[in-house]
Amino acid sequence: MASAEIVLSAENLTKRFGDREAVSDVSFDVRAGEVFGFLGPNGAGKTTTIRMLVGLARPDRGSVRIRGLDVARHFTQAMAHVGAIVESPDLYRYLTGRENLEHFARMLPAGAGGRIDELGAMVALSERLDDKVSTYSLGMRQRLGIAQALLGEPDVLILDEPANGLDPAGIREIRQLVRRLAAERGIGVFISSHLLSEIEQTCDRVAIIHRGRTLAAGSVRELSARSASDRVRVRARPAARAAETLSAFGAVETTTPFASLVDDGVGDGDGPADGVVTARIPPDRVPEALRALLSQGIEVFTVERPSSTLEEVFLEITGGETV
Amino acid sequence: MRFPGLVENELLKFAKQRRFRVVVLILVALIGLIVFAQSRARERFQEKDWRVETQERMARIQNWLRDGRMPASSRRWARFELGRLQYHLERDMDPEAVSGPLFARGFANASSYLLLPLLAIVFASDVVSAEFQQGTIKLLLTRPVGRARVLASKLVAQSLAITLTVVFGGIVAYLFGGLAYGWVGWDAPILTGFRVGGDVFDPSTVRAVPLWQDTILVYGLAWFATLCVGAIALLTSVLLRSTAASMGTMLAALIAGTILPRLASQWEAQKFLFVTNLPLPDYYSGSPPPIPGLTVDLGAAVLAAWAAAAVLAAFIVFIRRDVLA
Repeated sequence: MASAEIVLSAENLTKRFGDREAVSDVSFDVRAGEVFGFLGPNGAGKTTTIRMLVGLARPDRGSVRIRGLDVARHFTQAMAHVGAIVESPDLYRYLTGRENLEHFARMLPAGAGGRIDELGAMVALSERLDDKVSTYSLGMRQRLGIAQALLGEPDVLILDEPANGLDPAGIREIRQLVRRLAAERGIGVFISSHLLSEIEQTCDRVAIIHRGRTLAAGSVRELSARSASDRVRVRARPAARAAETLSAFGAVETTTPFASLVDDGVGDGDGPADGVVTARIPPDRVPEALRALLSQGIEVFTVERPSSTLEEVFLEITGGETV
Repeated sequence: MRFPGLVENELLKFAKQRRFRVVVLILVALIGLIVFAQSRARERFQEKDWRVETQERMARIQNWLRDGRMPASSRRWARFELGRLQYHLERDMDPEAVSGPLFARGFANASSYLLLPLLAIVFASDVVSAEFQQGTIKLLLTRPVGRARVLASKLVAQSLAITLTVVFGGIVAYLFGGLAYGWVGWDAPILTGFRVGGDVFDPSTVRAVPLWQDTILVYGLAWFATLCVGAIALLTSVLLRSTAASMGTMLAALIAGTILPRLASQWEAQKFLFVTNLPLPDYYSGSPPPIPGLTVDLGAAVLAAWAAAAVLAAFIVFIRRDVLA
């Protein structure tokens, strides 16, 4: 995947409103066939960045390229490769779904009138295509917005908070659709969200934006590994004594009786003495800590360094500010 | 190229919104009401037979002409009047009564101040601001079409809608007028081309034309004035991004235009305001202008200048401004 063509690239995007910098030096690349997540709390500068990506706002500094075409200089050619939903799926409510699609098909160089039924089926709107959009639910409008974005067979799909206002089933539907578009059609998908779980489940790579700056970027796994830091999880018996011993090497965070965790057939029947201790021990002191446990006759079943969730990464990077 | 498709899009938006139907209803209801009210008022003055009266007047004029002591200009007028009375008598029409065609022409005069500009504002105020209010501007301006072309398609569509409204107004006026006052009389001679230069009445430019020709001219002027109002309303729509605010601003301007000349006719510079120049058909037909120095030519030029400046400003702002709403 690393060798796939870069279809969307932002370089040092900066946007000022008055003397406040809403977006500062944001850079990233999105490749064909990947789903790229843009994660940040509300007000972090996600939508402003997206507005610059699609040419609605002019960056004060930096540039956006879509398949190598500078959006500021070659707007119409660049936009021919992009489908987008910015902020919310706003379509003409007094028109039917089909009329909306026909409207936007007429704005495309090739015209795409023949694909409307196909796209309607793809986003599961065939039945309602001839109803007015004002009668649609938010989820249906979101799907119609995606159908609109796909009219021009884009190489880049930009979705701003696609999960907003959707129920879990709706979110899952969108997620599956997005993954399919990336996998089957090789579309580079850019998704912004303030929901960690959504990005984690949908995206291949992530950039985290906070107060207008990208704080970290990489694959979901890389980022998780990065903040895994010094957390070690040890399953031992008896757990209480293990915790006591480990506390000499680093702070013990939790001690959980194993019975409350998954029963994997090891040490069953031994009751509450068996448990999992989570402690923060620097990597170079782990062998020493293990020796101490063993020398005291404490049984050790597993030792693992858990990869943290994006949530933990995020908390760490933003200094504890919740998403 | 794709431009007709863009105009089609904009016309579709006009047609599918309630606005268009409301405008049609307003026109029909208003014209119907005027005709009804006028015909009621007229019934009371039918005392003497107009045929006898007309024949008496024709005889009087013929006597004057035979007399030979009239100045040339009056002679011209007398011949015209004689022809006009003759025309009406031959067609069994009361020369002093309103005919369907005459009513249709009068509608253009009466509506170019307020009604037609109002309808233009109803269309144009919405053209850009509605896209902002519905959020659809974000889609409209991220398609592979330049902003200039998007706005141009809107301007063309709006001008088409205004043209349609003026034509429709004329047709409805003729239909109602015809029902109430009879359908014939399109080629009745009419005096036109009065110019009031200062206090001197200059008869040299006056000529007789058939009513249909005069009607086309008057509607052309009303249409032109209405288009210009539409162009200015497009600018307020672009600037204010709110339909209500844009409509309010334009309405205030229109109302100011009807009040100003009455309350402060000495202030001559107001003839360079667009609102004081809207009654172009009146200035053409020769009613004394409310402000000294106003003529059709000047009025048309002032309106055109306002419209051109408004369109230019609208394009510059629309193309350059970030869409953050």
